[in-house]
Amino acid sequence: MAATRRLQKELGDLRKADLKTFRNIIVDESNILKWEGLIVPDQVPFNKGAFKVEINFPAEYPFKPPKVTFKTKIYHPNIDEKGQVCLPIISPEHWKPATKTDQVIQSLIALVQEPEPGHPLRPDLAEEFTRDKKKFFKNADEYTKKHSEKRPTD
Amino acid sequence: MSNNEKTEDQSGTKAASIVPASLSESRPQTGDGMKRAAAKEQIEKFYYQLTDGCGRENCENAHCASSPTFILRDQERNTLALKAVELFRNKADLCGVQPSKVARAAKPAQASSSSQGTSPCEPSTSACTTPVKPVVSFMKPSSSSSSLSEKSASMASVQYLTEEKIKELVDECEGSKSWSKFIRLIGATFNNPESLSISFLMQPEGSGQTKHSKDTNTKKFDEDKDVDEKEDFIDIQSKHKNNQTAIEQLNLSEDDVSVDIASVRRAFDALMNIPDLPFIPALTNALTYLAKGVHIDLKFNPLILKQNPQLLNVFVIVMELPCLSSPEFIERAFPDFCKALCKLPLSGQCKLAKVWAKFGADWVRERVQSLHQLITVRIVNNEGRWGRGYHINDDADIASATRVMKILYYASIYGGERDSEKTIAEEKSINDDDENLQDMLQLQGAVGHSEPKELRHQKEDPYAQQLNAYSIDCRKPLVPYEEFINELLNEYLDVETDYKYKDDTDDTKISFMNHSYILTTASKFTLMYFDNRVRMFNERRSSILQTIVHGLPPIPYLRLQVRRDHLIDDALVALEMTAMDNPQDLKKQLFIEFDGEQGLDEGGVSKEFFQLVIEEIFNIDFGMFVYNEEQNVFWFNPTSFENDGQFTLIGIMLGLAIYNSTIVDVHFPAVVYRKLMGKKGTFEDLKEVDTTLAKSLQELMDYTEDDIDEVFMQTFQIGYKDVFGSSLTHDLKENGNQINVTQQNKKEFTTLYADFILNKSIQKQFRAFKRGFQMVVNESPLKTLFKPEEIELLVCGSKEFDFSALEQATEYDAGFTADHRTIKHFWEVVHEFTEEQKRKLLQFTTGTDKVPVGGLSKLKLIIARNGPDSERLPTAHTCFNVLLLPDYTTKEKLQERLIKAISYSKGFGML
Repeated sequence: MAATRRLQKELGDLRKADLKTFRNIIVDESNILKWEGLIVPDQVPFNKGAFKVEINFPAEYPFKPPKVTFKTKIYHPNIDEKGQVCLPIISPEHWKPATKTDQVIQSLIALVQEPEPGHPLRPDLAEEFTRDKKKFFKNADEYTKKHSEKRPTD
Repeated sequence: MSNNEKTEDQSGTKAASIVPASLSESRPQTGDGMKRAAAKEQIEKFYYQLTDGCGRENCENAHCASSPTFILRDQERNTLALKAVELFRNKADLCGVQPSKVARAAKPAQASSSSQGTSPCEPSTSACTTPVKPVVSFMKPSSSSSSLSEKSASMASVQYLTEEKIKELVDECEGSKSWSKFIRLIGATFNNPESLSISFLMQPEGSGQTKHSKDTNTKKFDEDKDVDEKEDFIDIQSKHKNNQTAIEQLNLSEDDVSVDIASVRRAFDALMNIPDLPFIPALTNALTYLAKGVHIDLKFNPLILKQNPQLLNVFVIVMELPCLSSPEFIERAFPDFCKALCKLPLSGQCKLAKVWAKFGADWVRERVQSLHQLITVRIVNNEGRWGRGYHINDDADIASATRVMKILYYASIYGGERDSEKTIAEEKSINDDDENLQDMLQLQGAVGHSEPKELRHQKEDPYAQQLNAYSIDCRKPLVPYEEFINELLNEYLDVETDYKYKDDTDDTKISFMNHSYILTTASKFTLMYFDNRVRMFNERRSSILQTIVHGLPPIPYLRLQVRRDHLIDDALVALEMTAMDNPQDLKKQLFIEFDGEQGLDEGGVSKEFFQLVIEEIFNIDFGMFVYNEEQNVFWFNPTSFENDGQFTLIGIMLGLAIYNSTIVDVHFPAVVYRKLMGKKGTFEDLKEVDTTLAKSLQELMDYTEDDIDEVFMQTFQIGYKDVFGSSLTHDLKENGNQINVTQQNKKEFTTLYADFILNKSIQKQFRAFKRGFQMVVNESPLKTLFKPEEIELLVCGSKEFDFSALEQATEYDAGFTADHRTIKHFWEVVHEFTEEQKRKLLQFTTGTDKVPVGGLSKLKLIIARNGPDSERLPTAHTCFNVLLLPDYTTKEKLQERLIKAISYSKGFGML
């Protein structure tokens, strides 16, 4: 695979960096274009759970952006029911081939922890978020407890 | 220039200016032109008799300088000139021997009082009165085919213009508040091609003594400097010889004229700064006179440019006049000038194109606009005349202006950014290959029916050939192609007349088909439609003829019988058979019959047929094409399993659609049409096939840091996916995976990458496709008339946005419904949008302005409520075609916010 060299390096760097908020990176050695990992937020209201995401790299990587999908349900204005997320850094219009995957993950975590209600995928949640933050937090917290993955213990 | 010489110059100026000026006061009427020329000749004779004498010692004529009784000796030349006119009027005696026949070289400088020392052959750069035998004989239409060796009685002392001279004279006239002298000078020089052709000559570096330098530029002027400034005459023989050597030297420097253009411009600036421009009437008259003369000379002596290459200077200088398109000139002088210009042989016109190309975009644009003005004025002024029996095609003024525009058009291409010769050579070899293949296949099919190869080749424009500058190789001409279009002319265009004149060589008529740069796409479309119909008619007629002569069954149409449930197979077999047996049949009118249906094909059935075939063949599951959702375009599937025949079929279909003027809903990026026209796809085209890839590669190109390898870690091996989604790799060059992309080779990498995507990976498929297309359109004027972008328009029709369909299919979310007040406002506002605003709205919400296959109803637009009324602007998720609209309370506010959002939003971000 053409992008192997770079992806191998990015994967190595990411594992070495040992982020607290992004763990359990699983990559099938036969297909380095598909990664799985666990987002572990440390801020309310998502700090009670963890969220599985899948990162799919295109064959043309890094000349085409990767795609990020949430595999775990999440109560979030910027992530829809199917787990799709609209992340500017990896949108086709804004993608830069020099962008590294760890930057993508950082910006994903930032979005999870601080929703952007001005640019929602779920306007109902966005409105709740801006109008009644308490209510949103409560709902999100409950939802997280109910649906999210277990947080790694260490 | 010494003081002494200057006085000499000026007296020379005055003297010589009188003779021609007196003649150019009024425009020459065609009727008495001959008389006038004869009179002028006579007056000249008197003048030379007064200044120089007849040469016979002891001449008895009191009005001859050779006579001992001559009374006017040492008079000013002006006085002498006046006397000459008087003598002519009184029909005084003229000496038998013409003074001009006297070899002045033998009797140098009788009339002048200074610098006896200079020999006739010595060069002098400061000469202001250069006596030469008229090179062009426009003064005497009776002997217009004059050549240099021809004996001519008329001998004028030719004066010419320089920047210094104009400025000096302007100053002088300004001082004396009398412009007559200046007007006379302008009148006298601008009516005489000879004067103009030696005006504003480039001065060699340093002194005038550099004559013998090896520099060809310098040498070129020498012919005019081989004359002593004090000499009024020169040996005709030597002049002729000089001219010839000048030609030989001129061949060496192809793109230059000997005019010092900067100096011309400064001089003309000075000219235009004169208050009230008193010289304009004289200048218009002079120009008209000049143009007519040059016109006749060029017409009757096609070799004149060879004999006197400097004649081109005349055109260069006149085109510099800033006032050419002003009302005084646009009616007569400018059109006449254009007519003369069209008479230049092709080589001359092409050389002008090269010279003008160097003057830059603004220069060319101004000239193009002047010509547009000329054409427009001409059309408007004759408003009532156009119509039955008389068309704009018959108007010589419009014809010549259009022809001159062609020179500018090619100047614009010649000076523009053109593809490298390497690319063009590669393309040529590909095209030749394709053609050979085609020939081979056709020969296999039917020997008797394939026509000679030359016939199929489209006429290439001789200008393009001569300049080796083809519009298709030039993406960025100096002046954009649209600026050559004259809308008004298109309005008055009569297609039938235009078609009729297509092969007419009469230069007072014109067929704009051969000057397609001036036409709008719509006009060209009509012209091609006409051409296609004529061809169909011819095919039908010859088929009937065959029936009568050979007793073959008549096949007046291209009749295809297809079954609805085996559409592709049937169409494929039928068209393949036709293509093999008799490709000429493809040029018959299409006639489709669906099996078991009664529908008679008057166009509607074909349209449905096209639509059905295209729908099926472009179906992604069919595997021939892949769909780029970002851009809503199809691209050839590099990993398709289909055989070439199916791609050929699609090519034939596309050709037939154009040929039968059916609009079909195919979504190809424009580069497909470029490739059909014989070009290769390049990096520039990549963005319409794969925007993200193109953008990323551009990022790579723009990255200038040294750590390019660490950041990108890219090798010359690239990855792509096949139809089943499995990853494949391709080495852009040998051992590509071993070669890292670095600052040094990144350009090569992007070029190769683009070449792979656009050409290499689909080579087989595209060749088959193109072959099919060519089978149908190879004879039509498609290639000569249209640019690739226009062909896209022909195939797909103009892109009007059907927002009603969009409204029907739109869904709502987060509190909005179709009946919501804000949504109603939204659609009211949007339906009133201009096409451009609609386009922007599409771009804003979906990230592309291309309509998806099947129309806007397939867009799946979602409008979601984004909170209550606020000052926020609408936003959009281009990834999911979602428009987020705050619940604005008033329609006005919605309109204002929406327009602001779509007009100013370029970036993407979380606002």
